[in-house]
Amino acid sequence: MPQNEHIELFQKRYGFRMDYQERQRKKKAREHKLQSKMAQKLIGIKGKIFAKKRYTEKVQLKRTIKAHEEKKTRKKDEGKVPEGAMPAYLLDRENTSQAKLLSSMVKQKRKEKAGKWDVPLPKVRAQSEAEVFRVLKTGKSRRKGWKRLVTKVCFVGEGFTRKPPKYERFVRPMALRFKKAHVTHPELKATFCLPIVGVKKNPSSPMYTSLGVITKGTIIEVNVSELGLVTQGGKVVWGKYAQVTNNPENDGCINAILLV
Amino acid sequence: MTSQYNFKKIVIVPTAKDFIDIVLSKTQRKTPTVVHKQYKISRIRQFYMRKVKFSQQTFHDKLSTILTDFPKLDDIHPFYADLMNVLYDKDHYKLALGQINIALHLIDNVSKDYVRLLKYGDSLYRCKQLKKAALGRMATIMKRQAQSLQYLEQVRQHLSRLPSIDPNTRTLLICGFPNVGKSSFINKITRADVEVQPYAFTTKSLFVGHTDHRYLRWQVVDTPGILDHPLENRNTIEMQAIAALAHLRAAILYVMDISEQCGHTIEQQVALFESIKPLFANKPLLVVLNKTDVIRLEELKPEQKTLIQGFINDDIPVMEMSTLSEEGVMAVKTEACERLLAHRIEVKIKSKKVEGILNRLHVAVPKPRDGVVRPAFVPENVIKQRLTKEAKPKKKTERDLEVELEDDYSLDLKKNYDLPADFKYDVIPEFWEGKNIADYIDPDIMAKLEELEREEELRIESGVYDKEEEEMDDEEKEIHRLAGKIREKKAIIAIESRIGRSGGAPVMPRAGRKRERSVSRLRSEFEELGVDMSNKSGAHFSRTKSRSASRPPIKKARADSTGRVSSSSRVTPRDQSGIRNVELKAKAKKMGHKAQGKMNQFGKAGEADRHIAVKMPRHLYSGKRGIGKTDRR
Repeated sequence: MPQNEHIELFQKRYGFRMDYQERQRKKKAREHKLQSKMAQKLIGIKGKIFAKKRYTEKVQLKRTIKAHEEKKTRKKDEGKVPEGAMPAYLLDRENTSQAKLLSSMVKQKRKEKAGKWDVPLPKVRAQSEAEVFRVLKTGKSRRKGWKRLVTKVCFVGEGFTRKPPKYERFVRPMALRFKKAHVTHPELKATFCLPIVGVKKNPSSPMYTSLGVITKGTIIEVNVSELGLVTQGGKVVWGKYAQVTNNPENDGCINAILLV
Repeated sequence: MTSQYNFKKIVIVPTAKDFIDIVLSKTQRKTPTVVHKQYKISRIRQFYMRKVKFSQQTFHDKLSTILTDFPKLDDIHPFYADLMNVLYDKDHYKLALGQINIALHLIDNVSKDYVRLLKYGDSLYRCKQLKKAALGRMATIMKRQAQSLQYLEQVRQHLSRLPSIDPNTRTLLICGFPNVGKSSFINKITRADVEVQPYAFTTKSLFVGHTDHRYLRWQVVDTPGILDHPLENRNTIEMQAIAALAHLRAAILYVMDISEQCGHTIEQQVALFESIKPLFANKPLLVVLNKTDVIRLEELKPEQKTLIQGFINDDIPVMEMSTLSEEGVMAVKTEACERLLAHRIEVKIKSKKVEGILNRLHVAVPKPRDGVVRPAFVPENVIKQRLTKEAKPKKKTERDLEVELEDDYSLDLKKNYDLPADFKYDVIPEFWEGKNIADYIDPDIMAKLEELEREEELRIESGVYDKEEEEMDDEEKEIHRLAGKIREKKAIIAIESRIGRSGGAPVMPRAGRKRERSVSRLRSEFEELGVDMSNKSGAHFSRTKSRSASRPPIKKARADSTGRVSSSSRVTPRDQSGIRNVELKAKAKKMGHKAQGKMNQFGKAGEADRHIAVKMPRHLYSGKRGIGKTDRR
């Protein structure tokens, strides 16, 4: 019975066919023909996937070819001036570098304050009531239309209990209630899944804020105790604001950027 | 339980990228692809929920087949569990399978969440985005499993090539230092073709071969060589041998190289024996001294001999053999098999199952009739003959000739032909004068020919071939004459028709030709032939009604007795040609009218109207295209 490395053993003992190398070489030489045939024949979704893959391959090929060509050609080494190098006659001056400019800008902004929140998404499309709510017909003959079903993702706090069904005007379905958000730290560029504490402000309407509706641009408060941030005084920071950056009802998840 | 020892049936584990491609393209092929904005929202939701569920199901199925196909280390024989631990690391293996399991559950959860969300999708765009998010999430989960999948694929490939060793059957296990001759031994007694090379650790894993002894099949397992160092320092290759030694209940053959060509002295080999002695508990043991063609046991130095003697003192049988010259190999095998058989029988007797077997075993011995002893009897003459019989001279075979002549030998098949020497080596043609020579080859052909000729002559003489004059009476003569005439006439007609078939001339259709087959023509032709046509009583021909020339040429509407006009043709009309009985005919007509009435009243299609049974046959109106859209069918 063929056991363990029987294929390699056979090759070691008896070698290959007399035309083995030739056939391998020829097969390899014919590969480009197969590729081009596939590229011409494939249509539909398969064609698109193939074309995309082929495009990336070609880009890589072109890059390597260019790199090789650059190695071959010898260019005159123009004396490159390193960054930050200054001509001799400017040496003694005190230059304001970029860093200094930035800090002065920040200081200016802090002076202005005036309740302007500097958020990543300053302008967001306003959501009308028709978008956010859907009329829920109730009553024996389904004529009464005073109830509204929230169609966007919302947050209800812990220990939330509905009002008695007869009296609740806004129905927030359980499927659309989210407790966690994927929060990205803008500097660390890392994303964490943090529990939501509450909805701070919904830019479209204060009613949405009170209901807890989360749409794009909403400011939410998240529990950042996981990150282990500490204030200057030595106290542990456990809550921070974040702004939602996607449409949660379309993606099924809440993505937000931490406001540092 | 053979499935436990045959790991070749595990499903192929694709790479993460391929896995995702397979599942997504399957989803695209097997679910409906077309949906429009204006459909009912419930229909749109259902469409997208189906896609999410289908992907989840496909992922689930494929991952669970992987999980079930791979053997669970706790469920298989401890030998295989230990071997797999040595080869693939039990922890890594379990972790990989655990990761796959986690991925399976995660995908299920994702699908559940998104299907729940899809129920609240109120536009096509939203449902589509949710489905995209769901499938994307599942794909990301699979992408993270790339490492586990790659590892499992490698494990699967290696597992499928492991030799199928049955841990419960009769097994001989060969162990010892590297290069002592274990693989040569197994090559000699079985058909296993294990590689034999002068460097150490040529055999890197377990090999199995099968041999026969006493009409039973025995497994022989060859192990890689073991070196003498503590268990912790052993590498993977040695650990396989240790696993086999530990778990297989087999007869152990400890092979030693007394010529010390393997690079280790006899002292070292004995030391190794002592160190792995605990593994030999409860197993029949045999120490085999190999390479005796180089140096025999007697020629050893006395110190080494005492070491070997130590074995004999411990009741361990020591045997000599040489795999190169093949002396003692069969003896070793026989001895090992016998010992193992005895051991197994002993164990079986001590077990509880022996009662059941012994109850069924019964050796029947014929009852002695009387006290007379009747031994085997061979006549004295025969014994004498046997002793004095000279050995038959061995016939010189072609092989012997070949060995003798070496390069000058050529196979000559014609040298033993039973023909005279001049034409022994002649080339025989295949055809002669248009005939196959092979058809005429017969050793007795000349004798047969002569016999036939003789017989023929006798026949001619006796007059077998003389023609006889037949005596015919008048009638027969007449018949003969007429028959001859008829034949002649037929031939003439045939020739005439062949000549007369002039191509191109227009031929009148048969109906248009004047009546050819008439009684008068028949009569005239037969008179020509000489047949008497005057007698009409026994005739089978009758004159057809001829159209008289006195008929008026102009067509006139002919009225019959009832005053109805009938056409000038004499064919009976259709409604009269069926049933002749007037009453029955009226009834049938009435029934026909009645059946038509209802249909006519409601304007329905009748039996005679064109009717399409299936307006939309399914095979024409359904199904996806392999490629392209189904706008036109």
